[in-house]
Amino acid sequence: MGEPLLEARDLVKTYGSVEALRGASFTAYAGEVVALIGDNGAGKSTLVKCLSGVEQPDSGSVLLDGEPVRLDSPTAARALGVETVYQDLAVAPDLDPAANLFLGRELRKPGPLGWFGVLDDKEMRRRAAESFRDLGVSLQSVDVPIGALSGGQRQSVAVARSVVWASRLVFMDEPTAALGVVQRERVLDVVRRVRDQGMAVVLISHNMPEVLAVSDRVEVLRLGRRVARFTTARTTVEELVGAMTGALSQEGA
Amino acid sequence: MSTRTSAVLAALLLSPSLLAGCGGGGQIGDSGGSADAKKMVLIPGVAAEPFYTSMECGFREAAAAAGYEVDVQAPARFESTLQTPIVTGVLADKPGAVLIAPTDDKAMAGPMKQLKDAGIKVVEVDTKLQDTSVAVSSVSSDNEQGGRLAARTLAELVGGGTGSVLVLNTKAGTSTTDARAKGFEEEVGKYPNLKYVGQQYTDNEPDQAASKVTATLAANPDLIGVFATNLNTGEGAATGLRNAGRTGAVNLVGFDASPKQVEDLRSGVVQALIAQDPATIGRTGVEQAVAAIEGKPVNRDVETDLVALTKADMEANSKYFYKQRC
Amino acid sequence: MTSLARRLASANTLWIGLVLLGLIAVFGALRPDAVLTVFTLQTTLVETSVLLVLSVGMTYVIITSGIDLSVGSVLVFSGVTSAMTMNALNGGDATGAGWGTVLVGLAVALLSGAAWGLLNGLLVARAGIPPLIVTLGSFGAALGAGQLLSDGSNVSGVPDVLGEGLGTGTWFGVPNLVLLAAAVTAVGALVLGTTRFGRHTYAIGSNEEAARRAGIGVTGHLVRVYLLAGVLAGLAGFMALAYFRVASVTGHDTDNLNAIAGVVLGGTSLFGGVGSVVGTVLGVFIPAVLRKGFVIVGVNVYWQPIAVALVLVAAVWFDQSRRKARNQR
Repeated sequence: MGEPLLEARDLVKTYGSVEALRGASFTAYAGEVVALIGDNGAGKSTLVKCLSGVEQPDSGSVLLDGEPVRLDSPTAARALGVETVYQDLAVAPDLDPAANLFLGRELRKPGPLGWFGVLDDKEMRRRAAESFRDLGVSLQSVDVPIGALSGGQRQSVAVARSVVWASRLVFMDEPTAALGVVQRERVLDVVRRVRDQGMAVVLISHNMPEVLAVSDRVEVLRLGRRVARFTTARTTVEELVGAMTGALSQEGA
Repeated sequence: MSTRTSAVLAALLLSPSLLAGCGGGGQIGDSGGSADAKKMVLIPGVAAEPFYTSMECGFREAAAAAGYEVDVQAPARFESTLQTPIVTGVLADKPGAVLIAPTDDKAMAGPMKQLKDAGIKVVEVDTKLQDTSVAVSSVSSDNEQGGRLAARTLAELVGGGTGSVLVLNTKAGTSTTDARAKGFEEEVGKYPNLKYVGQQYTDNEPDQAASKVTATLAANPDLIGVFATNLNTGEGAATGLRNAGRTGAVNLVGFDASPKQVEDLRSGVVQALIAQDPATIGRTGVEQAVAAIEGKPVNRDVETDLVALTKADMEANSKYFYKQRC
Repeated sequence: MTSLARRLASANTLWIGLVLLGLIAVFGALRPDAVLTVFTLQTTLVETSVLLVLSVGMTYVIITSGIDLSVGSVLVFSGVTSAMTMNALNGGDATGAGWGTVLVGLAVALLSGAAWGLLNGLLVARAGIPPLIVTLGSFGAALGAGQLLSDGSNVSGVPDVLGEGLGTGTWFGVPNLVLLAAAVTAVGALVLGTTRFGRHTYAIGSNEEAARRAGIGVTGHLVRVYLLAGVLAGLAGFMALAYFRVASVTGHDTDNLNAIAGVVLGGTSLFGGVGSVVGTVLGVFIPAVLRKGFVIVGVNVYWQPIAVALVLVAAVWFDQSRRKARNQR
């Protein structure tokens, strides 16, 4: 598979007396969907926070393209092409999809108007429509507030927002939680398309059939450590559950 | 909050002692040493207001003439929570009489009753309690007479002219300004050339007063006079008339005579002021207090007259201007 | 559709605008000779100018899902500091002073407003104290400070050039006070509707966490919004000074509520994220037109607050049911 895109080595993170990560490692390659699974409290969320710049590990190293990097803020991670889709959506429901897509990265009008901070809404709408089309997100209108859209469409916009700005890697924390069957498929389609564009997608999920359906590889966390790695095509739900519960472990994972 | 707390604390501490006082014949003031019957204290409604300062001047003058030692203690704001600790502080001093402008007609009843129970003669000046059993005398302006005087003054200013007149009141239920408006309404009916178009409430906000004046002007272009029942309505009315370009053409009669209002009278923004006579209120309060201390007959209710000031006679009546210091 | 037209039609701004037109039509039909006149138009506009400037700042604050109860007190404080500075520069009475003094007075008023706005902003955004509590505190403190400085009495001695220039002066028949308020409102509307600053204001009110995750400096932005409200309150204080020719320390107790009422009537949601300055303009004029119309038509004075309250409650109810309908999808 060649050189890993993102690699975490022996990350340790403690909150007071609680050890959330005890030497956790993680690897993601370009052009793949890697699922990160583990029981509640295994350290998935903490690991993602450390890798997306929200938290800083106490020790251990993070490498991007084999080079050590410091991710001391979400902005720093974003600058390196790493984006995150949060479980709780984090969209502004009163803004339209285009405004949400460009939130914090608004385009300004060229010329003097732009110096005063005047926004180029037309261009943002055009580009947003283009991005939604590319990602297969169908919206009746890009003019309505996002709060007026269905749950699936809202989630698609949230996913699209991260994907559009990511150039290297996207973390998705339970992106299909609380979605219906049809809506879930739509989001997973987006995930596949992103992978096909050559990005790495890290999917955090509790849903084993979904993990098997969409991922290329699976990495398992247990008690703050990576305990197993699988190639999706050659594994089963039983194996994954075994690794998560500690019934099965791999040497050197 | 701390003043409120201290007021509550004071009330809590005092109430059992009062009960004890009924049985044993003792009083709170007793512990403070001998009563100083030759001392008199004035507690105005608020500090540094020209109206009360003028009252203080009359008070000091009359009390000194009667051979009394004087003290004046005013709350920083017109609030019963600030006035109550002053009353209880004065209680410890046990003067012969206290002249007070209660800041609340119910909340001040408790503290003032303590004064009475300690044998101190209480005289109400300017404002009064609902409970009439506390004070030996109440001295205040006859606000209705002030309103009637405003109507007469307006009629004189208008001369033979004909037109509408408006009253600007503060908030519904304000006893003093309601009395002024009532007196005005009664008196203005006697002048057939003045058409009374009613009163408007302003929430005591100058901007509302201004708006009501211009609206009345729009509806009644023959507006010839406005009676503004207090300082804020007067300021708002002056602004509204200036805005409409009718300063001087519409006769504005204001109430009270603080320095800024006197200045406006002089410069022609206001055509007349109905001035209370706070110095006389202070002097009369002292007279009543002295009578009560000496056991002579006391007038339960005294109402002092108000005076009208116009530009023509104002300098002759300058003693009625409210003072910022004696 | 253009962005502005879309916004007008989508929010309840359109409805509020129709309500305003309806009120004017009713009063106009009852007393056409008194209502539909240049005089009534001019005076209504002038009398609403000061409140409008306060309300523009309030619109920004409420869109961030905050509130600013201190604007009326900051207005008083700024008026007092401005008037006292102008008097001090002219030996105690600035009545005859020139434009230089007036400019210093303006600067003092704006700075006074800015100081309170900055304090509000830092306490809300940095210290994380709820805006209701913070501005309730500064509501009392700013008024107290103003009264302390002025010894509890109104400050007079306002320069005649200010009173005659800004207060009652006109430009081609339009009162200068109205021109100033219109300019402030136009800039406020454009910044809110078309710029990044405005977009971030909506985003923070809509979902503060989302804005933070999107890389928007939420803390700094909130401080700037409260600062803006403070500066506009300072400007309003200066305008009131020109208009009334006295810095009044009483009589602005309900300015904050009047501004909030105007903003909410104009379709800005107390929940944040939704609103517009155009709506605020309409919302501010509804109570003003009602008050004026009632006096002109001669309606019983006690009806007026009832009618204003009914319209306000109806507007908020409409806003909430609109949101509920949307969230049920």
